[in-house]
Amino acid sequence: MKTTRRDILLFAGGSAVGVLMTPAPWRLITDSALWSENWPGIPRPARGAITAKYTNCALCAAGCAVRARCVAEQPVSLVGVAGHPLSHGAMCAYGLAGHHLPYHPARVTRGPVEEAATAVAGAMARLGANERVAVLDLRPGRTASWTYRRAMAAVKNGVYVEVGDVGNSAIDLTKARTVLSLSVPLLEGWGTPGNVIAARAGFHLIQAEAVESRTAAMADQWLRIKAGSEEALGQGILLALGGQSTAAAAEATGIPEQQILALASELKQNGPALVVGGAGSQSAAQLAAQLNDALGALGRTIVARRDAPVPDGWKKAAPAVDLASVEDGSIRVLLIDESAPGAYLPWSDVEPKLVRDNPVVVALGWTREGYGRHAQYLLPTGVYPEVAEDIPRAVDSVEAVFRMAVPLVQAPQGVVKPEEWIAKAAGLEVGDTLRERADAIHKAGRGTLFTYADGKSVATKDVKTDDFWKALQAGACWMDEVEPAKRPAAVKVAAGATRQAAGSANDLPLVAMLTEAPSSPLLSKIYQESNLKLGPKQVAIHPDEARAAGVEDGARAVLETLAGRIDVEVRVDASVSRGAVLVARRAAVLDVCGAGVRAKVVRA
Amino acid sequence: MTIRGKIPFLAGTLMALGLGWVGFPYAINTRRPQPVDFSHKVHAEKGGTKCEDCHAFREDGTFAGIPTLDKCSGCHAAAMGTTVAEKNFIDQYVTPNREPQWADYARQPENVFFSHSVHVKRAGMTCESCHGPTGASDSLRPYREDRISGYPAEIWKVSGTNHGMKMADCVDCHRSKRMEQSCLDCHK
Repeated sequence: MKTTRRDILLFAGGSAVGVLMTPAPWRLITDSALWSENWPGIPRPARGAITAKYTNCALCAAGCAVRARCVAEQPVSLVGVAGHPLSHGAMCAYGLAGHHLPYHPARVTRGPVEEAATAVAGAMARLGANERVAVLDLRPGRTASWTYRRAMAAVKNGVYVEVGDVGNSAIDLTKARTVLSLSVPLLEGWGTPGNVIAARAGFHLIQAEAVESRTAAMADQWLRIKAGSEEALGQGILLALGGQSTAAAAEATGIPEQQILALASELKQNGPALVVGGAGSQSAAQLAAQLNDALGALGRTIVARRDAPVPDGWKKAAPAVDLASVEDGSIRVLLIDESAPGAYLPWSDVEPKLVRDNPVVVALGWTREGYGRHAQYLLPTGVYPEVAEDIPRAVDSVEAVFRMAVPLVQAPQGVVKPEEWIAKAAGLEVGDTLRERADAIHKAGRGTLFTYADGKSVATKDVKTDDFWKALQAGACWMDEVEPAKRPAAVKVAAGATRQAAGSANDLPLVAMLTEAPSSPLLSKIYQESNLKLGPKQVAIHPDEARAAGVEDGARAVLETLAGRIDVEVRVDASVSRGAVLVARRAAVLDVCGAGVRAKVVRA
Repeated sequence: MTIRGKIPFLAGTLMALGLGWVGFPYAINTRRPQPVDFSHKVHAEKGGTKCEDCHAFREDGTFAGIPTLDKCSGCHAAAMGTTVAEKNFIDQYVTPNREPQWADYARQPENVFFSHSVHVKRAGMTCESCHGPTGASDSLRPYREDRISGYPAEIWKVSGTNHGMKMADCVDCHRSKRMEQSCLDCHK
């Protein structure tokens, strides 16, 4: 039989029909889909022994105790440590995703380390008589902060500038029965989350704020004051406590006079009371201190706190000053440690302090979104949980504490340790400062050591020096012994975490509210690929405010504050309170607009 | 189509069916023997061991999976019996302290989190529910791996059962228990 072309085509057709009745094509489709999940570029989680490591979260000063579940030494999930006397096993959303931070898309891992060192050395050699070398420490209270102070004491005209220190006083929420918060985000990242939650049932919270923040929503009472009238309210309460008229305060805050009188009465009658707020300006801080003094809070809900011991040799150090006290146009060399996520001082506050002709600004940070945008040199640093660092005291930690974030993953090649780099630039020789600090604490013999793996506390004096250090490296917390509550010498509470005081311009009708910054790639992926969170230069306002400003959803506009202007894209969102503008917590935005700042949206 | 015309068509169909049902399943997978000819049956019947004696849960509740050599050496520090498999195991692994490279019949994709603890301890499921009658097998079947996807062939059908270990199989079971709502249970 002769095979024709028609036979071949029929055979092929029959084969095609037959194949469709077998699992082959469907399996190939499935396999191809599965294969596409395993491209060579797709990272593969390590496989290996499952272990638990302990550390402390360094994302903020709360320093919550962390248990890291590791697979093949790689942390895959973080949880709190149950039974911890300060953090009580709780962690915030960012803390739970903290192990993603080293992989953040904005991470910087390379920088001109040698060039920066040469430039700094040259500028320091040519330093004028009235010019200064300054370290700007965005997270004071650490062992590294002591190194900066020592370094600045070792150089000519050195000055150590700290941002957001809480001083030597602490807030004891467990003793408070009535708390008045002047726009402080008390329940959303102010203190130690677990500690605040644990104490929450014991006090009546009154939140005075212009917008319904999360804290306002969760408070027992929300006083909706006019934007920027926190100081006026505080002044009114002071007057009410002194039996004077509060008419002016009522006018300024928009709250009836009777309500201010009732509030003052409640604070006085239902004590111990506490007023939290006032770090936005000197006058506001002084007012909050006056209020607490008048209410008898000092020594009861605001108590003196000792610092963790330091080696005697460290005490020859430069004093800590705030940026405002540094003369304008005086800083020739500015070294900024922004290795820890979170804190940021608007560049508009920093820039006037620099000399006009070629200042040398070196930012040591993990991301290029901070001061790296303004500095000549951005040097990459390790970030939690890559580096060993201690964590400063939390505002609500009554005892002095010392705990460290210990490395859970290896830092990339080429990153610098800010403490060592700045010390070297200043010609200061430093050893293992964390170990020296731990030895000094052990030598003092005070307090207890709480170890996380077994959840036990042991007196410091019962632990050998080496064992004390090993325990701290394995995730442990030293806590000073509890002393009778004392009145602090000077009160400077709630700094840093407090919403900034509003400006006074009446033509800025809105109050800025900040969204949280995405700190993990997982969160930022959601954030980048959806409209769940605001983009870097987006603002959200209520439809009524949008109509008043003459802007529509998606329109280009300008956000104006007293500090400056920034181009933004407007999102119109009915869930945003009237009178508020929601902005993203990004450095570019923070340069002109902080939380609580008066602002205005105008058409571009 | 004439009778003459139907012959090549049917021949093509039959050839494709044969290749698709017999040749393709064979060709799509690679095969390799397990490093040791292990008998679950002997260990269960003569040794009196239970699944969880070797496939144990750690103190923190996580599942240890396939036991490591340390576990085996606890009993097999010296040869127990005179079989070839036993001699091979002692000579090649126990004496040189070399970990056997077991191939996992049930390896899941990287984007799946599976908790043995929840299924065994909380739901009370038996090992056989998913893994089939492996515990009664007298020797380890060869490990077959899909050439394209790289996953074990038993993901499609577990030996001795009528189900596989793909997401659809998990969903079927969860749906029957009315617990299919949460994607994040597995895809964390």
